[in-house]
Amino acid sequence: MAIIETRDLTYTYPGATNPAITEVSVTIEKGDFVILTGPSGCGKTTLCRCFNGLIPHFYNGNLEGEIVVAGLKVNDHKIHQIARHVGLVFQNPENQLFALSVEKDVAFGLENFAMVRDEMRKRVDWALQMAGISELSERPPHELSGGQQQRVAIASVLAMQPEIMILDEPTSFLDPVGAQKIFEVISELNKKLGITIILVEHRLDLASMYANRVIVMDEGKIVLNGEPRKIFNSEKARLIGVGIPKVTQLYQHLKIHGINLKRVPVTPQETANILREVLKHD
Amino acid sequence: MSVFEGFKFRKVSSAVHRLDPRIKFFYVIILFVMAILFTKLLALIVLFFIPLPFVFIARVNRQWLRSLRGAVFFAIIIFATNFIFGYFYPSSYTEITGAVDSLGEYLVLLERASAMTLRFVVLIASFSVFFLTTSPDHLGLALQQSHIPYEFCFAFTTAVRFVPVLADEAQTIMDAQKARGLELERGNFLKRVRNYIPILIPLIISAIRRSLELAEAMESRAWGASEKRTNLYVLKLKRTDYLLVLVSVLMLIIAVYVWLYVSIPSLTTLLSL
Repeated sequence: MAIIETRDLTYTYPGATNPAITEVSVTIEKGDFVILTGPSGCGKTTLCRCFNGLIPHFYNGNLEGEIVVAGLKVNDHKIHQIARHVGLVFQNPENQLFALSVEKDVAFGLENFAMVRDEMRKRVDWALQMAGISELSERPPHELSGGQQQRVAIASVLAMQPEIMILDEPTSFLDPVGAQKIFEVISELNKKLGITIILVEHRLDLASMYANRVIVMDEGKIVLNGEPRKIFNSEKARLIGVGIPKVTQLYQHLKIHGINLKRVPVTPQETANILREVLKHD
Repeated sequence: MSVFEGFKFRKVSSAVHRLDPRIKFFYVIILFVMAILFTKLLALIVLFFIPLPFVFIARVNRQWLRSLRGAVFFAIIIFATNFIFGYFYPSSYTEITGAVDSLGEYLVLLERASAMTLRFVVLIASFSVFFLTTSPDHLGLALQQSHIPYEFCFAFTTAVRFVPVLADEAQTIMDAQKARGLELERGNFLKRVRNYIPILIPLIISAIRRSLELAEAMESRAWGASEKRTNLYVLKLKRTDYLLVLVSVLMLIIAVYVWLYVSIPSLTTLLSL
């Protein structure tokens, strides 16, 4: 079942002459883990803003085409109505936390929904536990590390129990360990709770093992869309400058030198297994 | 950035910290009213000691003394103005008729000016106890439960939350501009003020950009979804809060009684006896 569907979506920011995205038609299925990638300025963030109604409601500008998210026509619904279904986590963890304690921040969305206090308490504790930060509940956000802050941001979106969670480069302010932790948390949400994940990411080495689909954008258009292995191994992805995982590159190099592995690997573990098999045969 | 140190609330817990901020504010207002009622030095000295137990129970003596030290400059101005004004127009001010000439009259004048200064110090002392022992979170909550529109309360707590962030950012910008050869500590006073323009402009621009991102994040988390928001926390009055109300009201009654029926001797007459 499609949870997000766009048809010929074209959007121009107010004051801009050229559209940021042109004729984007994409369908995302319920329960998917999608990686959205492409060079800077290719329109990834713009597309994410369309998914939760920031475009057109917050940014104005000119939106053409059709977009339906979780059964709602984005054009006809307010952002807070869409927010019940779509959660958006931003790049900079610092600028999306505004309360003086972690749990207060996690409760922010629920307070806006005017939820009863007992219910809210349960939800907040649950979201903190899912994000693995229960012990931070009373700390002020500005005292936390970037990785912890980003997990608070995820928890605060999760507390609203959305069906879709969009993460716009959530790891670009984090170190590799922090990034790994974020990916593990969102992969859990995808597997256990069936939340549809759309992850905008440049560094695909760590993220690609969790995804079942990769969408590549370039100059405001979707140029590739499909299974991660196929996309990473395609010539086009390399030409656009997608951050193809190193093990996939290794596969390609070996192929040039006449060593043909059976499958296209995306994780080091997988590569090690395939290589072991090949070496045994020789 | 030592300037911002004072804004950082340290999370400590004590009986005073746990008091309801509304009640604490009520208590401070009572102190305020009492300080305005009395003009005699003796009464104001007594008033000065009233918030002291709070300071010690909350263990904020250091910060409290620091805020008093900050008030010294204004205290001196108040003392000087009162003294000079009293010297030139003694009759409008004290019981002295004619010009001030005897030692006794000088002492009266001195006592009067000291009383006015102490009144200011009492106000600072009691208000700083309030702000030192009330977390901004609690304060925001108190504002909200006092039916102040949520937008204002939110603006308040968010401002407090971003003070350390902006302080960090100011430091980064300063370092960056210094690395490019900006000399902050150079030239006369006006020049020094002008030196800060290359710090202020990037700081303002980044604050505006930050606020846009914040607005986006708020919208994405259903800001304005319902007419009446709920709140994760709620302030409830406890026994100690009622006790403080009782104490405050009693203090006020005693103060009004003394003000109406008891004539407080001046320190000069008391000492000459």
